[in-house]
Amino acid sequence: MTFWEALAAGFALVAQWESLFFLSLGIGIGVIAGAIPGMSATMAVALTLPFTFALQPVFGILLLLGVYKGGIFGGSIPAILIKTPGTPASSATALDGYPLAEQGKAGKALSMALYASCIADFVSNIALIVFAAWLAAFALNFGPPEMFTLIVFSLTIIAGVSGDSLLKGIVAATLGLLLATIGLDFVVGTERLTFGSIELRGGLNFIAVLIGLFALPEIIAYMRNPRERDGSVRGLGHSGLTMAEFRGSLKSIFRGSAIGVFMGAIPGIGAAPSAFLSYSEARRASPNRDNFGKGELEGVAAAEAGNNGVAGATLIPLLSLGIPGDVITAIIIGAFMIHNLTPGPLLFQNNADIVYALFIGLIASSVLLLVIGSVAIRAFRYIADVPSNLLFPAVLVLCIFGVFAINNSVFDVAVMLVMGVVGYVMLLFRFPAAPFLIAFILGPLLENNFRQALLMSRGSLDIFIRGPITIIFWCLTVISVVFIVRSTLAAARIQRQARRRPKTQPGSQG
Amino acid sequence: MLSRRDEILIGLGVMAMAAALLFLIIPDHIAMPRRVRLPALAPDFWPRIIGWTMLAAGAGLVVKAAMAPVTPDRIVDSLAVSGSEALRMLGLAVTLVIAYVAIPVVGMVWVSMVVFVVLVLMSGGLQHGWSRVVWAVATAVLLPLILYLFFYKVAGVAIPQGRFVRLP
Repeated sequence: MTFWEALAAGFALVAQWESLFFLSLGIGIGVIAGAIPGMSATMAVALTLPFTFALQPVFGILLLLGVYKGGIFGGSIPAILIKTPGTPASSATALDGYPLAEQGKAGKALSMALYASCIADFVSNIALIVFAAWLAAFALNFGPPEMFTLIVFSLTIIAGVSGDSLLKGIVAATLGLLLATIGLDFVVGTERLTFGSIELRGGLNFIAVLIGLFALPEIIAYMRNPRERDGSVRGLGHSGLTMAEFRGSLKSIFRGSAIGVFMGAIPGIGAAPSAFLSYSEARRASPNRDNFGKGELEGVAAAEAGNNGVAGATLIPLLSLGIPGDVITAIIIGAFMIHNLTPGPLLFQNNADIVYALFIGLIASSVLLLVIGSVAIRAFRYIADVPSNLLFPAVLVLCIFGVFAINNSVFDVAVMLVMGVVGYVMLLFRFPAAPFLIAFILGPLLENNFRQALLMSRGSLDIFIRGPITIIFWCLTVISVVFIVRSTLAAARIQRQARRRPKTQPGSQG
Repeated sequence: MLSRRDEILIGLGVMAMAAALLFLIIPDHIAMPRRVRLPALAPDFWPRIIGWTMLAAGAGLVVKAAMAPVTPDRIVDSLAVSGSEALRMLGLAVTLVIAYVAIPVVGMVWVSMVVFVVLVLMSGGLQHGWSRVVWAVATAVLLPLILYLFFYKVAGVAIPQGRFVRLP
């Protein structure tokens, strides 16, 4: 299929009313879920996933991508109106968004957040279209040794999603890798860690694991300490965003979009660092830098552009290499798996129509987000009023139905419940869940490619340095590890100094 | 932030888990073929690497926590569970276990309705007035029915119906 044929086939898929309907539905669900404090875009994508298997692949994946895009923007609404960021990346938006809301300019802040989100999302989607096909064509040359070295490099993304403790991230990742080994060994066919259970021979269901890990711990945490949300919702105010204000922030929006695209394309960095970098760059370059943090519209624009600029770009490694760039794209892999599609270079050869349909759908999503986002801004008061003691039981019921529906298996419900407990214990002991999930996905790929490569070479390890691609990935891995170790040591040093300071100060005074 | 003592205990727990994996679980629960061409192709090769990595990371957690200065009490997050919290968590665990066992017997729709109401009551649903209770009961009935309609009628999933009251 040539590029133009694939584009035409993709357009034919998206031109159906169902495509736009499911995309709009997804954006609507995402915006609402992102806007409800306590819910998150990740949880919304995980809960929507089981509903996609009844749909055609393109509709199902567009629905999830809609939830993803909507969820990222939705997180900015509570950040501005009640200073409760719906996603970590929206924390940067709250820096100027909430002061604006306190000044009675919440409507301006939300409009700016919406316009910046849509523009950055559009730029990010264009980057995805330009780079993903090119990278996928290059990745067609990859055999098992190249894939193994690529995955080893990709595992270093665990450092980026480990939060405060790299060691805890590594422990979480080893747990994910371990659970991924459950089932029949693919080379010799013997049982591994099945404990005699027939259901475990096929391994743990990915969707049961991820829903258990991302939705249930929130429910358990709420049940342990059920509290209604506090914090008052600010009114929107009557002043709208003027053209001059919008033009004044355009430079920061495009700069933030570029930062988002660059950081989103690198697996593991995610939206939060991108939003903060975009914000700090805007503050550095702005003539109004003194007003940042006190209610500056440009600050809201920069943070949201950095945040949303990541959304399309994280799909570049996912679609072209099959490597999830962050937790949400790791969950979206599940949608591909449900429909027997494998993200990676072959997807562009075997299912080019679906890939281009997704690209066109993503472009359309930027426009739809503009429309649905403006409605959601006005409806936030009602969204925020959903009582927690109805929300969390409803989420649990959704989890039970959704997980059962994947394989018609009550055992999967048990897996989900157990993973929920594991997820809660991890939450309690401050182990990040993202490395667990990413390792759970990459684990089988890592092991299978390693063993296939050894079978090809009849046991010679030289195959892992057989050409420039493997050597480049080893070099990138070493550079990445050195960088991680250095930054971890630096962070520990700063933390130690910060802890010592309160002790030394009184002494020095006395 | 957790206390230094808790962080050390967590690290020791990880090490104990890794040791159990390496010396008990892998030898007993990974079936090995009679002859393996290469050690790296053996079924226990990756699980052992994972176990050793986990052991090393656990030791790293212990050393890191032991070397860290004592965290001031005012910024330490306690892991202690109060009596009412423990009771609610126990209630949730019992509810979920009973629900899991009851799904094939009673049916997923009816079990979901009961679980919903129980969770609302356990989280203090009655404290927010009767309107909240009415909403809770309405949602408890409607949500499982809507999900049943979607999955059974639209997606063709055989939602467990149980032995007593079957839905059309």
